[in-house]
Amino acid sequence: MKRIRALLRRVAGLLQKERRDRDLADEIESHLQLHTEDNLRAGMSPEEARRHALLKFGGIESTKEAYRDRRGLPLLESLVQDLRYALRMLRRNPGFAAVAILSLAIGIGANTAIFSLVNAVLLRPLAYKEPQGLFAVREVVPQISGQRSVPANPLHAREWAKHCPSLEQVALMRWASANIAAGGEPAIVPGLQVPHNLFTLFGVEPLWGRTFLPEEEKAGNDRVVVLSESIWRSRFNADRSLVGKSIFLNGQNHQVLGIIPAWFQPPYSGGMEVAVPNVRIEIFLPLVIGQGQFRPMGNFNYGAVIRLKRGATVEQALAEINVVQARFPPQAGVRLDLKATLIPIHEFLVGRSRLGLWMLAAAVGVVLLIVCINLANLLLSRSASRGREAAIRAALGATRGRQFRQALTENLLLAFSGGVLGLLVASWLLTILVATTTLDIPRLDEVRLDSSVLAFSFCLTVLTGLLFGALPAWRLTCGDPQEALRAGSHTVTEGRRGPRLRSALIGLEVGLSAALLIVAGLLTSSFSRLLHVEKGFDIQHVLTVDVGLSGTLYSEPATRERFFDRVLAKVSAIPDVQAFGLVTQLPTRGETWIDPIALEGDTRPPLERPMVNNRYISPGYFRAMNTTVRYGRAFEERDRGSGVAILSEKAAKLLWPAEPNPVGRSYIGEDDKVKTLVGVVADVRASLHNDPPPTAYYPYWQRVPFGVALVVRTSVDPRAAAGALRAALRSEDAQLPIPVIRTMEEVLERSVAQRKFQLTLVVVFAASALLVACLGIYGVVSYAVARRRNEIGIRMMLGAQRSQLLRLVIRQGMVPVVFGLAAGIAAALVLGRAIRGLLFEVQPTDPLTIAGVAVVLLGVGFLACLIPAGRAAATDAVAALRLE
Amino acid sequence: MDKKSDVWQGTLALMVLRTLETIGPLHGYGIARRIEQTSGGQLLVNYGTLYPALLKLEQEGYVTSEWGTSDNNRKAKYYRLTRAGRKQVEKEARQWEQTTAIMARFLSPGEERR
Repeated sequence: MKRIRALLRRVAGLLQKERRDRDLADEIESHLQLHTEDNLRAGMSPEEARRHALLKFGGIESTKEAYRDRRGLPLLESLVQDLRYALRMLRRNPGFAAVAILSLAIGIGANTAIFSLVNAVLLRPLAYKEPQGLFAVREVVPQISGQRSVPANPLHAREWAKHCPSLEQVALMRWASANIAAGGEPAIVPGLQVPHNLFTLFGVEPLWGRTFLPEEEKAGNDRVVVLSESIWRSRFNADRSLVGKSIFLNGQNHQVLGIIPAWFQPPYSGGMEVAVPNVRIEIFLPLVIGQGQFRPMGNFNYGAVIRLKRGATVEQALAEINVVQARFPPQAGVRLDLKATLIPIHEFLVGRSRLGLWMLAAAVGVVLLIVCINLANLLLSRSASRGREAAIRAALGATRGRQFRQALTENLLLAFSGGVLGLLVASWLLTILVATTTLDIPRLDEVRLDSSVLAFSFCLTVLTGLLFGALPAWRLTCGDPQEALRAGSHTVTEGRRGPRLRSALIGLEVGLSAALLIVAGLLTSSFSRLLHVEKGFDIQHVLTVDVGLSGTLYSEPATRERFFDRVLAKVSAIPDVQAFGLVTQLPTRGETWIDPIALEGDTRPPLERPMVNNRYISPGYFRAMNTTVRYGRAFEERDRGSGVAILSEKAAKLLWPAEPNPVGRSYIGEDDKVKTLVGVVADVRASLHNDPPPTAYYPYWQRVPFGVALVVRTSVDPRAAAGALRAALRSEDAQLPIPVIRTMEEVLERSVAQRKFQLTLVVVFAASALLVACLGIYGVVSYAVARRRNEIGIRMMLGAQRSQLLRLVIRQGMVPVVFGLAAGIAAALVLGRAIRGLLFEVQPTDPLTIAGVAVVLLGVGFLACLIPAGRAAATDAVAALRLE
Repeated sequence: MDKKSDVWQGTLALMVLRTLETIGPLHGYGIARRIEQTSGGQLLVNYGTLYPALLKLEQEGYVTSEWGTSDNNRKAKYYRLTRAGRKQVEKEARQWEQTTAIMARFLSPGEERR
C-alpha cells in the first residue's frame, strides 16, 4: 500500500519538472538563508556566514540530483532518454537500420507464421470434450498386413463395447459421400455414416434439432440426415426451418434432423494409411450395418473411436480389447494373430504432419538465428568503431551498467521494430498460405494469429533482441576507455579479440546454413526422385474425372453398366481423344479393395491366401494410362460373358512364382469365381511413395461399380477436352454431380502437395540462410580490409605482391567458412536421421548432396571474400599510408 | 557508498519523524539543527542529505509540507507529521529499541570475557 502510493507519487513526479525544480531551489535557498542568519547571530562576518552555510549544506548540485532521482523514476527517465538517443542513432544510419529491421521482420514474421501453423495443428488442444480419453482403434493382423494396421471390423467393435469394462463408448464410422441436388448444383459431398452415440462420444451438441436415435440405425428408418453447419450455411443459407424438412440425397428423400456446429470434424480414416485426410465432412447419415456384415474376419472397413472410462488406463483398455480379439480367428477357422492398436486421437489426427511441421519450425528458427548472428556481427563491427564514443561517455562519468543499458536499448528498439513489422509479414504469409494451399494437414482451417501466437511473437522478439544485442552491447562497454581513446584512431590494427569473435560467429553462421542447405538438398532430391519414380503409368495428356452413381435409379447393376457403356461410347466420339477408360480407384489415391486370390484347389483359409488390390476397369484403361501390357493382352469387348482377369507382375508372381508367362492359366478371383488370365501388366503404384502393390484387374461388367474415375488421353492439351467430357456425362444424366475435371498431372501434384510445400519452404529458408551468411562473410571481410588499410599499405611498401595480399585476405576470410562448413556437415550427419521419415529413396547421409552443399558454400564464401580481397589488393600504398 | 547512505537514511528517517513529533511543524533547516543538537553534536552530516529523505517520507505519506513563514519572517517550507507518520514513529521506535536491546545483549558478555 505504502509502496504503491510512493510509486504513484513518483510517477506524478515525472510531470511538471520545472515547477518542482524551482520549488526545490527555493527550499534550498531558504535553508541557506536561515542558516546564514543563525551564523550572523553567532557573530560571523556576512561572507563567512554564507560560506559556512554552504559548506555545511554539502554539494548543492548533488543534493538536487539525489532529490530528482528520488522524486521521479530514474530508470524510466533514462529509458526514455535512451530510446530518444537510440532513435537518433538509427536515423543517422538509415541503411543499417533498414537492413536490420527488414531482416528481423522477415525472420520474426516467418517464425510467427510457422509457429501459428504448429500451434493450430499440433499444440492447441482439440475441441472435443476431454480429448485425452479418446482413442482411434486400428486392427493388426501381422500375417496379412505386416506392420501396418487396418481399419476396424464391425463385429469386433460390437464385442469390445460389450466385454471391455474400461471402455465407456465405442463408435464406428464409414465413408459415405452423398450426391446432393438440393440447394444448388448437384454435387458430391463428403459424408459419414455414424452411430447415434458418436456425437455424445465427442461431446458435441447440435446447434438446432437433434442427432440420431438408436432406432434410426435400422434399414427402413434411416432416411434421416444431420448436416454440418458449414453446408447448412453455404447451401441452405442457414435456414432454420430446414430442420424437419426433407432434402434429396442420393436420389432419395431424407429428413433433416439437426445441424452440427462447423468446428466438429470427426477423425475418420478408413484406409490402409493411418492418416486423416483434410476433408470437411458435411453430412452425417445413420450407420446401418446389415447382419451379413458381422463376420469374424474380413470386412475391415470402418473407422473406430473409443472413449475410455474415467480412471481407466490405455494399457488396461488395450489388454481387454486384445483378449476379445483373440477369440475371432478361431471363430473364422484361421490360424492368425489378431491384435488391436490404440492411437491417441490427437496423434491420430496430426501425427503424420508432426515431423514435417517441426522440421519447418526448426528450419525457420535456424534462419532467424543466422539473421541474429549476422546482426550481432554487424553491431560488433560498429561497436569497434564506436569504441571511441563509448570511451568518451565513460570518461564523462557514464557507468558501465548505464552504457550497457543504453546500447541494449538501441538493439532492442531494432528488435521491436522488426517484431512489429514481422507480425504484418506473418499475417500476410498466413493469408497466402490458407488461401492457396491444397495441403492435407488436418486442422489447417484453425490457423490464425491468436493470443498465444502474439505472446510467442513477443517473446521471440525479446529473445532475438537479447541474442543479437547483448554481446555487442557488452563488448561496447567492457573496453578500457583510455585504451580506446588512444587506439581510437584508425591507424592501429584492432586487438585480437574482436576479429576472433567475429570469425567464430561467421563460422557458426556458415555451419547453420550448411546444415539447412543439406536438409533442403535432401528434400529436393527426395522430391525429384518421387516425381520421377517408375509409376507404371504415364501422366501426360491425361484428363480424369470422378463419376459417382447413386440412388434408386442406379441400384441395378445392369443400369449402371448401360450408363458406363454409353458414356464411354460418347467419350470415344470426342475429338482428339486417343484412348479412354475407367477404373474404380485412380493410381495415387492409395490402396483399397484388398482381397485374397488363390489357385484352384488351394485349401488354405481365405485370410492366409495372397492379398491383392482389386480394380475394375474398361478395355481401354491401360492404353489411356500407358501401362505396359507385359504378356497377353488388355480386355476386349468380346470378353463380355467370360470370366477373364489381368494381373500385375507382382500379383502373377504370387500365384505362379516360377512361371514367367502364366497367360492362359486360371485362378479364383475376389468374387470366388474362376478367372482366366488373359494378360500380365506392369506394376502400378497406388501411392507415389509406396512400392506398387500386387493388383488384379477385372472388366467393369463383371461387378459393376457405383463410383469410377474416367481417364481420357488426348493428342492435344487435355484441358481442351474437359468441356466435351462434362457434356458427355451431362447428356446421360442431367442430375449427375460432376466434380472438378483435372489433368492427371494435377492429380499427381495434389498427392505430393504437402511434400512440395515443405520443400518449397525449406528451400526458401535455406536460400535466405545462404544469402545472409554470404552477406555476413562479405561484411566481416570488407570490414577487416577497411580496418587494415594501413597495415596493407605497409605490407605493400615492404614489397608484398598484389597476389599475395589477395591470398592473405581470402585465406583469412575462408578459415571460418571452412570450419563452419565442417561443423555444419557434422551436425547434418547427426541430425539427418531425424528427418528420415520425410525422405524418399535418399539416405540422410547422401554424399552427393553433402558434396554439392560444400561446393556451393565454398564457392559462395569465396566470392564473398574475393570482392573485398580485390579491393585490398588494389590499395594504393601511398594513399593508404598518407591517410595517417 | 550507496549502502552506507541507505543505513543512514533508515535512521535519519526515524530521527526526522521523532523530531517532528516532539517539536511540531518545522522547516528543513530547523530539523537538521535539532537533530544535530539532540545528538549532542556527535552527528555531523551534510544538511543537504536531509532533503531527499524528507521527500521520501512525504511520498510515503508520513509527512506533508507547505510553504510558510519562519519566526524571523523568512519564507520556508514547513513539514508536518501526519497520522500515518505518528504510527510509523511508534512502530519504528519500538523496532529500534528491540534491535538495540538485542545488540546490547550480544555485545555486553563479550566485554566481560575480555
